[in-house]
Amino acid sequence: MSLLAPQTQPHIAGHAQVLNVSDLRKSFGGIRALGGVSLNVEAGKIHALVGENGAGKSTLIKILTGAITRDSGTILLHGKPYLPSNPAQAKAAGVQCVYQELNMFPDLSIAENVNIERFPRKPFGLVDFAAMRAQAIRALGAVGLDDMDPDLPVRKLGIAHKQLIEIARALSTKSEILILDEPTATLTDREVQKLAEILARLRLQGLSILFVSHHLEEVFRICDQVTVFRNGQTVASEAIANVTPELVVRHMVGRALHPAAAAPRPKAPRKNEVLAVADLKTTAHAKPSGVSFSLKAGEVLGLAGLVGAGRTEVLRALFGADRRRGGTIRIDGAEVRIDSPSDAIRHGLAFVTEDRKGEGLILPMSIKENLGLVDFVSASRMGLLNKAAESTQADRSRDKLSIKLGSTSDAVSSLSGGNQQKVVMGKWLNVRPRILLLDEPTRGVDVGAKAEIYEILKGLAEEGTSILVVSSELPELMTLCDRIMVLSNHQLSGELNRDAFSEEALLKLAYRQHQEVGVETT
Amino acid sequence: MSTEGVISGAAVARGRLLLRKMGVGIALLVLMLLFSVSSEHFLTQGNLTNILTQITINLTLAVGLTFVILVGGIDLSVGSVLALSAVLAGMVMSNGSIDPNLAVPLAIGVGMLVGLVCGMLNGALSALWGLPSFIITLGMLNIARGAALEITDAKAIYSFPEGFAYVGSIIIFGVPLLFVFALVLVMVAWFVLSQTVFGRMIYAIGNNEEAVRLAGHSVFRYKLGAFAVCGLCAGIAALIYMARLGIASPIAGVAFELDAIAAVIIGGTSLSGGKGSVIGTLFGACIIGVLANGLILLGLSDFVRQIITGLVIVMAVVLDHFRSRISQGA
Repeated sequence: MSLLAPQTQPHIAGHAQVLNVSDLRKSFGGIRALGGVSLNVEAGKIHALVGENGAGKSTLIKILTGAITRDSGTILLHGKPYLPSNPAQAKAAGVQCVYQELNMFPDLSIAENVNIERFPRKPFGLVDFAAMRAQAIRALGAVGLDDMDPDLPVRKLGIAHKQLIEIARALSTKSEILILDEPTATLTDREVQKLAEILARLRLQGLSILFVSHHLEEVFRICDQVTVFRNGQTVASEAIANVTPELVVRHMVGRALHPAAAAPRPKAPRKNEVLAVADLKTTAHAKPSGVSFSLKAGEVLGLAGLVGAGRTEVLRALFGADRRRGGTIRIDGAEVRIDSPSDAIRHGLAFVTEDRKGEGLILPMSIKENLGLVDFVSASRMGLLNKAAESTQADRSRDKLSIKLGSTSDAVSSLSGGNQQKVVMGKWLNVRPRILLLDEPTRGVDVGAKAEIYEILKGLAEEGTSILVVSSELPELMTLCDRIMVLSNHQLSGELNRDAFSEEALLKLAYRQHQEVGVETT
Repeated sequence: MSTEGVISGAAVARGRLLLRKMGVGIALLVLMLLFSVSSEHFLTQGNLTNILTQITINLTLAVGLTFVILVGGIDLSVGSVLALSAVLAGMVMSNGSIDPNLAVPLAIGVGMLVGLVCGMLNGALSALWGLPSFIITLGMLNIARGAALEITDAKAIYSFPEGFAYVGSIIIFGVPLLFVFALVLVMVAWFVLSQTVFGRMIYAIGNNEEAVRLAGHSVFRYKLGAFAVCGLCAGIAALIYMARLGIASPIAGVAFELDAIAAVIIGGTSLSGGKGSVIGTLFGACIIGVLANGLILLGLSDFVRQIITGLVIVMAVVLDHFRSRISQGA
């Protein structure tokens, strides 16, 4: 079962390396996710792994937990080669992971959740409830929840307690190393403090922890060492005492900062304001503080922020795809009601979503059918499809967006990612939107198609279309936008004009909220 | 070079699609060949007419179910709705105080209207709050059946005007007129599904409801429409039932929904929605009818027929699963 031979030599806390990753590589269909990363986690230390979106942190976690296999490179666990081919092997070897998205059974009790991987059994496959409770109480004690009733259903717990119970579950089986993926993303500051105390106690007991996080303030509060990934490579690995948050940010961004004005935009945006959003509150956050902004004709406005900062939520709320808690939307100065996507489309909005396959395309249907999905009016009469008009419309889109395809009757799933994205854009451009909302418009798109999409967007802006674009790639926003707003924890933390663009400034705004909160409490 | 690859890939895909569409038809031909070799009675005009008569009601129900299954739902209530439509239409038709020339068209209207209303209720309740149509229509299955029994005091209604019953007995060149009605219904359904915006949206919603919603369309309206069509077909099936048998029984159509669903599935429509056609459903209904008829001609018991029909349903789904896996892998 276990991938490891029984441990023969005892390891000395603080010196022995528990996990040793070197020159690890992994590509997904030509796209390099890890280009030779290295990482050493010492026994009894909390080791932080930081990096921008797409730096390769998630890929590393997936390899360590056996969800995917590596292309090349070595991983040693207590000096022995470690190559799990599925999650069960990883767990058996003692690599435990708590994911950001908690995988719990809300209607089962705490005791059942803690023991879910291996219920204590009596003969004939019956569950040994007494042993299960005892085991749960022990596990709860290990994470500082001594007074918690193990019979309580997990549904009744707050998010912080759920997380601690996930940790308890992970530790209830053999644990050589505990991986925490963004553990503080949904916690309040006081809860983070509690988590920090518990992690410190676990460390004293000799547990090694890999702490993957976006939140530098917590990394500096909780961790002993930090490794920085950038573009699938290890760029720094230091003791926390030897670095500052500013230095870590610099490592994350890279010394060679992308020049802001890569391609100067030819025309200054026009003056008249098309869209004004005031105090928009999404349902994603319990106490939203409201987001306000405006958009001029032909202007490209970027929306930056960390994953989970609420960028997608703003777009979805504005488009009527999700309910809002509040806020007013004005178009050309007049207040409008947008309660559904059809309202939004009527008022000239269009929304290219992040999830192309789940929300944008109907994959088994043909390219022309997908291109006609929004605009039936021009390709139908009295409820009858006009297939000739539909083909003409599709050919126009193909030429305008230079979509590379065999025939517009082919299934849209036969296209490459970039061309699929152009089909999504094409179906919206058929209704000639005045305001185009884009969420990660070049995700999973190759470099060539990316440049073409940038050209298309520039052309639209020059024709007077206003564009609001969310992207995790700062260089992308800096290339496309006239202005960038930054969201942090569902609030606007700042705004930069084109002449002030820099990755450092944007990242500083993206991290601002967390650091301010940290300062308040310390 | 690369575009050539795309084109030939597409041609292969189109070829596969054609084969997929033909598959059910080929299966039907093979089945008929087998039976005509093993039984001398199978390929007689009388027997073929008999088969067509027997599949007419199932085909009518299955056409409506194709809409619901394509949109990603299910309707278990069609058999009960058939009974409720039949008894209400029958009450109008056999009411002596209405002029017979008026009673028949009125009854036809009532039968179709009852089916339509039941279908719309199914659709509204499941689509409005996103409730599973399996449960809603299971409820309707009981409600409609109970209502039919309560209204008639569990007694069948007889004595329809002669002209109405006569329609059920007309046979033109060996083809029952009622089957011709069902065939017209298949053609209308084919037209609606392939040539109208409504049909396009049925397929689109069955494949990706969220994309349709974000494209600004009312998913509710189209789902409601699909269930309404299904209910309407159950109402039409009720009228066919009455014309053929000359009675309107409150226990008509018990378990008819199972054969109708089987016809849709054997016809290649995916139970998860978005994929399939009403032409496939026509073949599916034929296969079930031919199977039942042929096996009895071979002297096998009705129990064995049930076992074999069940095996064919399972086989159809297993085959479809592997076919779609292969086409996805390519």
